[in-house]
Amino acid sequence: MKFKEWLLERFPIDYEKFVEFNEKIFIKEPIPTHMKKWLFVMGATPLIIFGFQVLTGLFLTFYFMPSPEMAYESIRHITEDVRMGYWIRGLHRWGANLMIISLLLHMTRVFFTHAYRKPRELNWIIGVILFFLTMTISFTGYSLTYNQLSYWATTVGTNMIKEVPLIGDLMLFFLRGGDVVNTNTLTRFYTLHVMILPGIIFFFIFLHIVILRLHGVSIPEGFEEKYYSFYPHHFYKIIIATLFLLTLMSTLTVVLPPGIGIPADPSVTPTHIKPEWYFFPTYRFLKMVSLHVGIYATAAFVLVFTFWPFIEPLLSKEKRKQTIFSRTAGVLTLIITLILTIWETIVI
Amino acid sequence: MAEEDKKVNRREFFFKTGVFTALGLAILAFFRNLLLYIFPARKEKTFHKYLVAHEKEFKKDKRPKQINIGKTPVFVVPYDDHYKVMSGICTHLGCIVKWEQDKDRFFCPCHKGEFDRMGNVIGGPPPRPLDEFKVVVENHKVYVYVEDKVRSPWA
Repeated sequence: MKFKEWLLERFPIDYEKFVEFNEKIFIKEPIPTHMKKWLFVMGATPLIIFGFQVLTGLFLTFYFMPSPEMAYESIRHITEDVRMGYWIRGLHRWGANLMIISLLLHMTRVFFTHAYRKPRELNWIIGVILFFLTMTISFTGYSLTYNQLSYWATTVGTNMIKEVPLIGDLMLFFLRGGDVVNTNTLTRFYTLHVMILPGIIFFFIFLHIVILRLHGVSIPEGFEEKYYSFYPHHFYKIIIATLFLLTLMSTLTVVLPPGIGIPADPSVTPTHIKPEWYFFPTYRFLKMVSLHVGIYATAAFVLVFTFWPFIEPLLSKEKRKQTIFSRTAGVLTLIITLILTIWETIVI
Repeated sequence: MAEEDKKVNRREFFFKTGVFTALGLAILAFFRNLLLYIFPARKEKTFHKYLVAHEKEFKKDKRPKQINIGKTPVFVVPYDDHYKVMSGICTHLGCIVKWEQDKDRFFCPCHKGEFDRMGNVIGGPPPRPLDEFKVVVENHKVYVYVEDKVRSPWA
């Protein structure tokens, strides 16, 4: 108690108000009863993983060197020499994959329970932005490993930017810091991956949560409008989810440790190149149509997907019909995405 | 009712103890691994033999002989049929000492450190004698053991 008085004298906040605020914002946050189901914890999952990514990523920077000569070698060093290095890197790598999986699951859940509907449209859009930011941060991170596959994925991936009308060439030159993937590309991607993108993601996560809290969690159809306090039930749920994710990532790291591949060779493109699995649908689609059609169709899909909460009411005035439209569109998207992913997985 | 609410039942007790034990263990394990990760493992030093002089060089001239191993100046000092090989780096603040034959001493120009022929401090601020190498003599050749330089940039 003496310490509390000592501190309050030097950090003179209104303690009573602080306790009250903490109770209101945190301890007694009203959680709708449907959240007792594990299915609805999917939204917290990417947040927890993001925390792990920041921590493990920070530690990877202790040894990683973003230069063409040293990037591959330093990752080899982390994976093979540094104590627990394979574990830190494995957590980071598997965390990235799990973050995308959990975002896909979270978005699927939100879409099919229509949680994006008025007045929560903005939060859906922010969520979609967060998803694409996560794809970008995964892409830049993958490029940093500088092995043959990641080098050529970076080359192919950045080349697509050229198709942006008018400023495509300039954007590509800016992103690569030159005409081809080179030393500048690596340092640029590094800055994007460890500073700029995490900062932007953090900002959007903050917005996402503030808007969520202001509206309160949406209650899906068929559930009662009853609430319980964040503490203790949900609090423990988050701890358990965190421990589960840590265990899962550690297990995956031990059972399926990420390899280091072969060093990047700008003079030889490997015969079979593939991006990471989450780009499979786009990649397969781009192989089927001309580059122009592919990129414009993908961009159109992304726009419709982002603004779906505003497009849905335009399709019909009736709630029931809206639901039918959305379900059909959602199921079709899922099926096409799955088919393209599986197709790309099994075809060399 | 209020009384009953406050009472922790057995089920709740085991649940909470379980969660916090698991969380505590996870945090401990996590930080143990992080500590191992940031502090690079110390490697055991390995050495190789390096030829520094031939005995016949000191037949007439007993002056310390200076050579360089890599960029480090080293002095080979003959005494009673033995040899002492010392680093030329002053133990005070790392300047290079030089042999002064007329005064029979090693002298460091930076802060006037003085060492005798055997490398012991005889004046000035140096805290300890000049660093010594392990010496072997085989077939009239004087070798020292030099630490292997690891080729990886992480040494």
